[in-house]
Parts: sequence; structure tokens; C-alpha cells
Amino acid sequence: MEGKIIVVTSGKGGVGKTTTTSAIGAALALEGNRVAIVDMDIGLRNLDVVMGLENRIVFNIVDVVQQKCKIEQAAIRDRRIENLFLIPASQSDNKDVLSTAGIERVAEDLRKQFDYIIMDSPAGIERGFENSIVGASEALVVCTPDVSAVRDADRVIGILYSRSLTPKLIVNRIEPGRVKRGEMLSHEDVMDVLAIELAGLVPMDDKVLISSNTGTPLVLQNDSKAGQAFKRIARRLNGEADLPFEAPTDRSSMWGKISRTFGLR
Amino acid sequence: MLSGLLKRFTRQKTKSKDEAKKRLQFSLIYDKLDLNDTILMDLQNDIVDVISKYFEIDKQSLELKVKRDDNVSALVFNTPILQVRRRRA
Repeated sequence: MEGKIIVVTSGKGGVGKTTTTSAIGAALALEGNRVAIVDMDIGLRNLDVVMGLENRIVFNIVDVVQQKCKIEQAAIRDRRIENLFLIPASQSDNKDVLSTAGIERVAEDLRKQFDYIIMDSPAGIERGFENSIVGASEALVVCTPDVSAVRDADRVIGILYSRSLTPKLIVNRIEPGRVKRGEMLSHEDVMDVLAIELAGLVPMDDKVLISSNTGTPLVLQNDSKAGQAFKRIARRLNGEADLPFEAPTDRSSMWGKISRTFGLR
Repeated sequence: MLSGLLKRFTRQKTKSKDEAKKRLQFSLIYDKLDLNDTILMDLQNDIVDVISKYFEIDKQSLELKVKRDDNVSALVFNTPILQVRRRRA
């Protein structure tokens, strides 16, 4: 097996990196791939609770890198989705415990065992971020349509370029109504500013919080717009590069059209 | 009358997202070049002055951008040319 390592980054925290990582990982597994999600946010682990696997942690990525256990021992099998595994972060160590050489070795091993390895990078551009891009062959940058997220995304994109990675962009939490009213940057605006290729567009969706509340995979919820959007991103990563991008639309836009037709607006 | 009233309430101000975009484009340029806002503004004005000697340009729609490639950054100045100025002998 010669798996692909995809790193999910953002620069700014709180834009949906962890949600994105778990959703894309789950969607890739549903497509029939063997997938490992690796939480590289050492000291602030989160993917385990988001994925509902927090009670089953024995070893973590730090143990793997320090050769205290094998990958198979640290990788937790998902309860619902076949071929989906999580290698959790350590909660007690700090970011400096991981050596670059150690990560490279583990990356090499992971590639042999999985089709896709999705690395969730910590916010920021310090050591933890650098660690998470070691061994990556592809990079996704998650960004919300606001000035601070876009600016931080730009910074991260610059760093990824300098490491010979050509990142693709995920615009998350798009609110179509506000975009239409000119209150929110559209994905075209964000792409204009950042000048990189798109990986996908994800609408704002209340279901995201609910699915993380219960630790259930978002992509298994057919009524979740964000979940469906992440599935499309996974399909693009998984060989369907030409799958068209669908700008999120407002359900109320139909009413908008009707009311405009009747001169109510 | 009613529609007039409605129009007054729904009249579009400058869209805030346009301001966001403009501010971002500017700040990203000087983030990368390590220039500040005034230097960049001065640069733009100087470029406009020079080009205006030879061409009549649309000052409303000009654009200063940093283009990024794998390892090259380029400063791109984009302006529609309305007319070539006739030069006096």
C-alpha cells in the first residue's frame, strides 16, 4: 500500500479544522478506503471526543513516535464506519516531545498501512504545525469567510508553498443569505484574495454541533448540508477531481424569488 | 408610496463584504512585502502619475496585487487604459 498523507491546516483556530478532518476521513472510509485520522494537536486533543471514541484511548501518537507501542495498538477503530481509525493526540505532553525523524518514520509506516492518512494540525504556525506537515503530500487549508481567518489562511498558504506543498482551499461556514446580502465574503471573494485552488465549499450547518455533541459522524447524516459537502470534498480527493463545486444556496431564496416576482420586495 | 417606503428601508449601503475584501487584499500585500499601508499607497500613486503621463487610465478600477507562484512573488499593477495621450512635440 502507498497511502497519501493529507494535512488539514488553517492558521486561525476555531474555523472547523477538527470537524473537517473527521468528516473527510469518515467520508473517505465510506468510499471504501482504509483511513487513519491522526490528531497532531499534542496537549489539546479533541478528535477523540468529536468522533465519540474518547473512552477507548490506550496509546496515542506520542507513544507511537517514541516507539512505546505499534501503530496498530494506538489506532482506535471507529464504532460505526468500517476501515476508519483514529490515532489520538496525547493530552499531557507538549509539542516538543515529537522529533522530526520520529514523525518521518511513523509517516512512512502509516503510508504502508492506510490508503489515506489525514493529519489534523493545531492552530498556529509554530512547532506543532510544522510537525503536522512532515511527510504530507497534500494540504488542505480551512478558512471561514471572515477577515481574520482569510488573513491567517494566507500566512499558512505561504508556509506550505515554501515546503513545496500546493494547498487547496475549503471555505467553511458559508451563510448563503448573508453572502447574498453582501454581509459576508463569497467563496469567489475568498479565492480571489488567496489565489489558490478550491477543494470545496461547506455551508454553515447547525447539525455540526449536534453531531459533535453526540460523537456521531456528520457524514452519516443525510440531512446535514455540511456533511454532504464534506462527502463531495472526499470524492474529489478520491479521484473525482472534476466533481463540480456547488455554491451553498439558501432554502429561503425560493421565497425570495417568489416574493420579488410579486413585487413584495 | 408603499414601495417607495420599502425602497428606503432596503436601500443598499456599500456592502461590508466589499470593504472586507479590499482591506484584505491590501493587508495581504503588505504582509508579504513587509511594507506598510502608506508606502503602498504612495507606490500606487507614483505608478499612476507615471502612467498618466502617457495614457489616460481609469483610476477607479486599477488594482495592485501580489501574485504568488511556487517560489516567485510578483507585484502586478492592473489598469484599464482609456486612451493614449497625444504627446506634444
